[in-house]
Amino acid sequence: MKQKILSVLLSAVVVAAMLAGCTSKTEKAATEPASESSETTEEAAAESGEVSETTESGDGTLTVWAWDKSFNIYAMEEAEKIYQKEHPDFSLNIVEVSWDDMQTTLGTILSSGDYSQLPDILLMQDFAFRKYASTYTDFFTDLTDSGIAFDEFAEGKLGMSMVDGKNYGVPFDNGAEVAVYRTDILEQAGYTIDDLTDIDWDRFIEIGKDVLDKTGYSLVSSQAGSSDIIMQMLQSAGGSIWNGDGTPGYVENETLKKCMEVYKELFDTGVMETGNNWDEYIATFTSGKTAGVINGCWILASIESAEEQSGLWAVTNMPSLPGVEGATNYSNQGGSSWGITTNCSDVELAEDFFASTFAGSVELYDTILPGAGALATWIPAADSDVYSEPQEFYGGEAVFELITDFASKVPEFDMGVYYTEANTALATAVTNVCAGGDIDSELQTAEDTVNFDMGN
Amino acid sequence: MAGNNSKKMSLNKKQNLIGWFFLAPGVIFIACLSFYPAIKALITSFKTGVGVNMTWTGLSNYIRIFEDKIFIQSIRNCFFYLIIQVPIMLILALILASILNNPRLKFRGIYRTAIFLPCATSLVAYAIIFRTLFANDGYVNLVLVKLGILDSAYNFLTHPFSAKIVIIIALIWRWTGYNMVFYLAGLQNIEYSIYEAAKIDGASPFQIFRKITVPLLKPIILMTAIMSTNGTLQLFDESVNLTKGGPANASVTMSHYIFKKAFEGVTNFGYTSAMSFVIFIMVAILAIIQMKAGDKRD
Amino acid sequence: MTKKSTKTITYIFITIAALISVFPLIWMIIAATNRSVDVIAGKLTFGTKLLENFQNLLQAQPVGRFFWNSCKYSVITTVLALAVCSLAGYAFEIFHDKAKDILFTIILTAMMIPFVALMVPLFQMFSKAKLLNSTVGFILPSISTPFLIMMFRQSARSFPKEIIEAARIDGLNELQIFTRMFIPTMKSTYAAATTITFMNAWNNYLWPKVIMSDNNAQTMPMMISNITSGYVTDYGMLMLAVFITTIPTAIVFFALQKSFAEGITGAVK
Repeated sequence: MKQKILSVLLSAVVVAAMLAGCTSKTEKAATEPASESSETTEEAAAESGEVSETTESGDGTLTVWAWDKSFNIYAMEEAEKIYQKEHPDFSLNIVEVSWDDMQTTLGTILSSGDYSQLPDILLMQDFAFRKYASTYTDFFTDLTDSGIAFDEFAEGKLGMSMVDGKNYGVPFDNGAEVAVYRTDILEQAGYTIDDLTDIDWDRFIEIGKDVLDKTGYSLVSSQAGSSDIIMQMLQSAGGSIWNGDGTPGYVENETLKKCMEVYKELFDTGVMETGNNWDEYIATFTSGKTAGVINGCWILASIESAEEQSGLWAVTNMPSLPGVEGATNYSNQGGSSWGITTNCSDVELAEDFFASTFAGSVELYDTILPGAGALATWIPAADSDVYSEPQEFYGGEAVFELITDFASKVPEFDMGVYYTEANTALATAVTNVCAGGDIDSELQTAEDTVNFDMGN
Repeated sequence: MAGNNSKKMSLNKKQNLIGWFFLAPGVIFIACLSFYPAIKALITSFKTGVGVNMTWTGLSNYIRIFEDKIFIQSIRNCFFYLIIQVPIMLILALILASILNNPRLKFRGIYRTAIFLPCATSLVAYAIIFRTLFANDGYVNLVLVKLGILDSAYNFLTHPFSAKIVIIIALIWRWTGYNMVFYLAGLQNIEYSIYEAAKIDGASPFQIFRKITVPLLKPIILMTAIMSTNGTLQLFDESVNLTKGGPANASVTMSHYIFKKAFEGVTNFGYTSAMSFVIFIMVAILAIIQMKAGDKRD
Repeated sequence: MTKKSTKTITYIFITIAALISVFPLIWMIIAATNRSVDVIAGKLTFGTKLLENFQNLLQAQPVGRFFWNSCKYSVITTVLALAVCSLAGYAFEIFHDKAKDILFTIILTAMMIPFVALMVPLFQMFSKAKLLNSTVGFILPSISTPFLIMMFRQSARSFPKEIIEAARIDGLNELQIFTRMFIPTMKSTYAAATTITFMNAWNNYLWPKVIMSDNNAQTMPMMISNITSGYVTDYGMLMLAVFITTIPTAIVFFALQKSFAEGITGAVK
């Protein structure tokens, strides 16, 4: 009996191996010409030294790397459909590559110096765009003179993908900061959404304590070990983590110190709940005891995953930093932009594609806004009627119009090339401060860490 | 007589040659796909810069390591995990293997599969589950509070010491069954009649375990010890997925830190390669000590 | 203390160990039947959303293709790795001498270099050899591993030398001794090695991710990573995907663990 099982297993293995051998051969045959052609363009690019002049126009197919099936990939697919109306031969090969994986893959490819494996187009997180574009100057194609109307994008957003005044990216989604509250909980404590509109953090904490006393709900939540909220506060007040000369400026940065103090008070009073990680953070407001969310507007999709809370939420602006000159109620978190790599097989086609879709089609944005909640950073899109439609989930508020308005008021924020290092060091400081550390000395440590990372 | 001897000699030589042939494919693969790139990485570790434009910098990457507070913290963390987790896990695995080797035990297959399963469970799921279990309102807190061991919920993942303990528990949970499999396989090469004889002689289960099981499994135990040492010093998954290295780098591992340096921030493969070779040297020294101590043929 | 009580304690001990071990798997199955919000809230009872999650998964990802890719890569890797490494491990032990012992120690150190450091040079090599996006490129680095060689070397130590001598007298050549004597005798070791190698190949992630940029070549672990990367993660669907990913290794192990039950005796005599 056992012999039999073993022999069956073994023969299955052999058959599988043979089948696999066959399929792999056909696969290889199919992919070979494509990889060869990209090889030649890569070599051509290397020879000309500058932006790749395509020697042969591709077959009308562009490869795209992006990471969210229901968001940016969906948007890309819709853009493909729109462009295909005029160019029936055009098609996109969209590869789903998660952001974490993309960092690993890009790190390997860029360090190896062999760019033939890069796609034609890829989506890039805004906070990392300048890092890649300025450390690997031959990574992205310069789009400044491509004919894409960059002046039709919100300025702050556009700056994320610019290096030395040159455009390397086509802005995509909006990360304007929203504050979203459960109106039913607020009501129990005797407040309305208006009481939380245009306020500062001092008032927020005051209301928060009251809400906590009366209902047991915290008013906001954050992810432990993350400094995102601090960065958002800092941006809302026009602050920065960098000195003018590009060195880290944590110490004697009064705005940053104020942010840390506010954060610490939120934490100590219990007005802010912390989740240990992303899924716990989401759970605090979808199923937990938190009545408010302050984050980039893409967080709405997560809020909406708790369908039974439809109609109970309302959107407004975030609290401002008290006692700081130039403080506003507006900020930004996240967002991404499209880039065309220097390995692109047909740069002109890619440029034309963007000029007629993400930077030129109201129709596209009209489709992807209700379809995926993708808020445009392309200004002409905001005039569309779709934006003023009331959203049932938020009690009939026209939230998209509101958020578009927020987005136009966001102060500019210099993330710098070493944003990831700066953010990590700040997160460590925040964690230690919450555990009882001294703000000044923690900021000093953070500055030292970033200086070390930058090799100074 | 002399002819016989020389014949034996040539036979030995022939066998020796055959031995080299047998191990050649494996060794060539490793030489090409591990050592060759490793030498390239070693060269990189003496350079600095971004992408392909790197310049020679001598030993400065290695000197830099000693000034890197987070990397030093990560070394400490890894050794903490190593010293506590590896012995507990291996002893537990040995005990489980010797219990599950008993042919009279009912439902052996089910038990074995159940205990093996953790290492086959996808990392994503197990990370989410462990985080949920140890969350503030998670089941661990619920039970501990109900039993009166804790007054109020304790946030395990945000305190430096308990975060490390959670990682150790997770590691034991995940890898005990894995190591048990090697012991089970090794135990098949020991005739069960030896146990029967010992039992008839009146040996206690503990004596059998210590005097028969452990000595006979020594080569396999050595292997698992080296594997676990290597695995723990190169620990990555748990640090990334359970604690993100936090709170404030209190649980970060060397590999996790290197990975972050390599791919998340501004990359300098010179420095990351240098850190990698520091790990390599530490593991290699420990492994060679273990080999010297445990790899004697009787 | 009676025999019976020892037996009871033993059963209680392994039952607890088994329950702790399978708990996450059960949780996973439960989670696969629930809504995303309930999953992260830690709900421990079965829901009614299994079918919905399954439909969402099939709609979002080409599960069939990825599953087939994973099977293909894992099976080929396992067969080749076992052949190459068991032969090498056998030779390191049976024909051991000083030179081979030293070589073995050197080989062993190959697994101690963090893979991060090897990624860029390996990528350059494979790119030059035009092996990117190919099955060969995927499999090649996992065929010969120090771990597997060591496993067979250590296990070969308990392989009775008398069998080899007897076989030689019977006129078998060395390869025949390996295939006809060693492999059948070491069935349990092969079974363990198959399980572990299959599992490692199945879960292999970092390297494939770097060299496989083709949509059609992706595997189950890559699919899971993709599911978790959006702004919103559907945890119910994710858990279902993770459960499907876990099954093959569990089946392989369960099918092969029977060979742990037979001692050396049956095979040799």
